[in-house]
Amino acid sequence: MTARLIGAWLLVGIPLLWGVEQTLEKAAKLFQ
Amino acid sequence: MLSFLDKANTVAPSDYNRFLVPPAALCVHLCIGQAYAFSTFVIPLSHLIGGDKAAADDWTELQAGRTFSIAIVFLGLSAAVFGRWVEEGGPRRAMFTAALCFSGGFLLSAVGAWLHQLWLLYLGYGVLGGCGLGIGYISPVSTLIKWFPDRPGMATGFAIMGFGGGAMIGGPLSVNFMKIFGSWNIPLWGHSATGGVAETFLAMGAIYLVYMMIGSLIVRIPAPGWAPAGYVVPVTARALVTAANVEVNEAMKTRQFYLLWGILCLNVSAGIGVLNYAAPMIQYVFPDHVNKVIAGGFVGFLSIFNMAGRLFWSSISDYIGRRPTYMIFFLLGILLYAIVPTTGHLGSTALFVAAFAIIFTMYGGGFATIPAYLRDIFGTMHVGAIHGRLLTAWSVAGIVGPEIVGRIREHEISQGVPDADSYDLSMYIMAGLLAVGFLCNYFVSAVDSRHHFKAGASVPAPAGE
Repeated sequence: MTARLIGAWLLVGIPLLWGVEQTLEKAAKLFQ
Repeated sequence: MLSFLDKANTVAPSDYNRFLVPPAALCVHLCIGQAYAFSTFVIPLSHLIGGDKAAADDWTELQAGRTFSIAIVFLGLSAAVFGRWVEEGGPRRAMFTAALCFSGGFLLSAVGAWLHQLWLLYLGYGVLGGCGLGIGYISPVSTLIKWFPDRPGMATGFAIMGFGGGAMIGGPLSVNFMKIFGSWNIPLWGHSATGGVAETFLAMGAIYLVYMMIGSLIVRIPAPGWAPAGYVVPVTARALVTAANVEVNEAMKTRQFYLLWGILCLNVSAGIGVLNYAAPMIQYVFPDHVNKVIAGGFVGFLSIFNMAGRLFWSSISDYIGRRPTYMIFFLLGILLYAIVPTTGHLGSTALFVAAFAIIFTMYGGGFATIPAYLRDIFGTMHVGAIHGRLLTAWSVAGIVGPEIVGRIREHEISQGVPDADSYDLSMYIMAGLLAVGFLCNYFVSAVDSRHHFKAGASVPAPAGE
């Protein structure tokens, strides 16, 4: 069950973090 | 063959960990949240024939952009119409259906792009995809609330945060796909290439289908009588938190439903009105400091606060209560909207951005906290279906908010108001909308017991609860 739990959170966490990173990159232009 | 979708077959085994339910919900919400990034398709869709620039036979940007409006209208309609079906059939059937609708919408849209048939785009992404949005949006809500009776705000906040995050993934994903597929330049069935748009629709539809299906397979409903270890139902109940249940049609007969509808509609109208015009607004207010690129950064910055606010405020509401949370949204919102014009007059970009960052945490927080508010007022029995009906407020706000900001600006410009001040009146009107929202929230009270569901009445409580 622990492996499933970690797997499930990674499955959603990785794309979410990628999306946040992409947006932060765009948002950083606000402070340039 | 499809019996695995039945609600009875989704009851969790005893060793099931309830923290698997939020990622299941996120599998759906991270996908459907792509809708808010549809704008990345607008220009490519309007250049399908012309390529680098629009040809005479190309769709206009307005025609292409209308697809998003149709999808949002069908989001509200499908959530309202199918809410009870979602509630009674369980989350797996609903998520499965949402996956088929949403990805099917992409498939039809791909065909529409290849054949250059606008009606296929509207029917695909707009109608079918919109139904996927509505069913997908409400499907995990009541399940999460039942798994987390101790933290319903936080639980639904996770899912609805995913909707905000979905746009952050969907936007860059579609841009990257269009770059790759556009360079391949594939004609199909004798039709010309679409600059990668059709292939991107297909690829995204396939990815979203897989993700949403995984979510539907992971999700479970709690066994009857299940409660988290150590959880004790509070003996001294809060005034606005009911232990009773209200059936969805009965809920529509209560004053509370319409007050909550008003709360959501007014909070969303204020935020969505600004969100639509955020990029031009900051450029007009600070013409010497802000160009198009910086304005794009401002929109990205707001979307991060919008997403973070969804989890933050809904979690806070578990501790301070739903009504006080909305009191904060409205009072702080009024204050911030009222000072935004002053920050512009002072020439303070930092204060302007900070005010909107806080406003957008509360915009997202308003979306994320409403399911738990509904649970408090109407109980858990039909909370998903009631939430579905309430989402019509979102569809209305999506039209009202941007209309107010856009039309007021036009009026101000026609009266000779300078560009930099042309949004001031809109901000004061938004503060006024929030003041009305404050009053709606103030008058929310517990539902009269005559509306409560009586055991043995003809409306069955969904199984597995």
